[in-house]
Amino acid sequence: MSTIKRKWVPYIFLSPYILLYVTFGFIPILFSLYVSFTSWDGIKDKTFIGLDNYIFLFNPDSYFFKSVGNTLLFIVMTLPFQMLFGLFIASLLYSRFVKWKGFYQLVNFLPYIVTPVAVGLMFNLLFDWQTGFVNKVLVLFGWVSEEIYWLGEPGYARFVIALMLFWKGFGYTMVFFLAGLANIPRDLYEAAQVDGASAFDMFLRITMPLLKPVITFVLITGIIGGFQLLEEPMLLLGGFGGGGSAVIGGPDRCCLTTVWNMYDTAFGSTTRYGLGSAIAYGLCMIIALASVTGYKFLNRGEQE
Amino acid sequence: MTNSTRYVISTALITLLSIFAFFPFYLMIIMGTYRNEELFSQIVLVPGTYLLENFKTVVESQFHLVYINSLVVSIASTVLAVFISAFAGFAFSKHEFKYKNKIFAAVLLTMMIPGQLGLVAYVIEMRYMGLSGTLLPLILPWVANAFGVFWMTQFMKGAVPNEVLESARIDGCSDFAVFFRIVLAFCWPAMTTLSLLVFLWSWNNYLLPLIMINEPELYTIPLAISTLGDAYRTDLAAQILGLSLGTLPVLILFALGSKSFIRGLTAGSVKG
Repeated sequence: MSTIKRKWVPYIFLSPYILLYVTFGFIPILFSLYVSFTSWDGIKDKTFIGLDNYIFLFNPDSYFFKSVGNTLLFIVMTLPFQMLFGLFIASLLYSRFVKWKGFYQLVNFLPYIVTPVAVGLMFNLLFDWQTGFVNKVLVLFGWVSEEIYWLGEPGYARFVIALMLFWKGFGYTMVFFLAGLANIPRDLYEAAQVDGASAFDMFLRITMPLLKPVITFVLITGIIGGFQLLEEPMLLLGGFGGGGSAVIGGPDRCCLTTVWNMYDTAFGSTTRYGLGSAIAYGLCMIIALASVTGYKFLNRGEQE
Repeated sequence: MTNSTRYVISTALITLLSIFAFFPFYLMIIMGTYRNEELFSQIVLVPGTYLLENFKTVVESQFHLVYINSLVVSIASTVLAVFISAFAGFAFSKHEFKYKNKIFAAVLLTMMIPGQLGLVAYVIEMRYMGLSGTLLPLILPWVANAFGVFWMTQFMKGAVPNEVLESARIDGCSDFAVFFRIVLAFCWPAMTTLSLLVFLWSWNNYLLPLIMINEPELYTIPLAISTLGDAYRTDLAAQILGLSLGTLPVLILFALGSKSFIRGLTAGSVKG
């Protein structure tokens, strides 16, 4: 009797997750796939148009590849530095030479917990053309002759976004590296020290190889998270106006990210649900490709 | 290099980086304590005297209602996500059943899928179910949390000893009693870390409320601060104070839980 009852126990524990995921996760994903083959504004009837939405992604008017390129550029501009600085700070905090570890840890993690909307708005204020803190300081010290139009020119705007993302992200990588460092047995270092290894040698031969799983994790989640970029550029370039609908993607759409593009297509300036879903599926394919490439890249390094 | 030089260099470097991390945040707090006109005319570095006046302006815009909405969304998301993840984690880590490995692999796969993939259809689903005038659409996506399931499974595998579970069962404990009385007691570190993360993610979420919520009575913090410009268009200082106030709850949570957060991450031994 009790063994028969037992068989059902794991399914009972599992069922809330499975039911909720199927209802609010899986069904929308399937339905979105269907919607991506239609032309639909959510009000009138759907018309099945086959692959037309996906073909339109290759048309420059959809801004799909432009937005993917922008997003990729931001990832390439920020993720390596986030990881480098995160690892550097974590190593400092983990060494014997820093006191008040908890305090430094919290301060460096602070940027990650600030609401992304607030981050975008704050940097909007800091880099404002006429009243922003940065221009005021630059002019005060005479480093520039006139105010720089940070958010009005593509190159500068991208620079500000990269700086903002770097600022926001290195504490996140730091936390994971700290956790990874704590899992490396101390006696490995002691043994190496006895054998006369330098600090640099130990970092290269002990720390790096043993941190590899964490590095892979941070890299993959960094790529996936990076592709979901939306709030910071939207609020940075839109300001306190709300919604950021005034300028879509900034000057020449140089800062239009893929998710911003999807939002704007389906729920912003147009209500093309079909095309919006196709953008989401296109993005998912590109993320899958990027993750596999990132993973392969790391593992190839191991074999050599 | 002597140890004391190393100490000085390390401390100097970490302090420098910490200042870089803290400075924009500091300015955000400081700028909220000034009169609006002062912000445009000068560079502000020390606290001003206008905090209370700005605070009054913010309170007049019904900001406390926004706070309550955000708290409802984040607390409900966190509690549900943590318990449902722990349930599933218990099944995966301490039970044998058919297709277990296949189902777990499927969960891992969904962890890699970006949340935006089903977004369009999710919004339609919520409207169809008549939930678009409520806060529920902002809670449901966090509740079935693949990361949480993975996280709890990994942790329970190592942290909950099988012998304890067995002896409790022999003593006649039902499986639910085992879960609530024994398993949860072993899992506090992992649950704390997961709670902090889910709270943070749901608190900061912007895209979903932006699409789903039209009524100002249902605004959450990120949506409210992005539209502060509409509430008191000319008062920049009050808007900035709104930003600081919106960050305050997560700041307090992480200041209190920072140690157990890292400990939980370490114990969960991150695997790629």
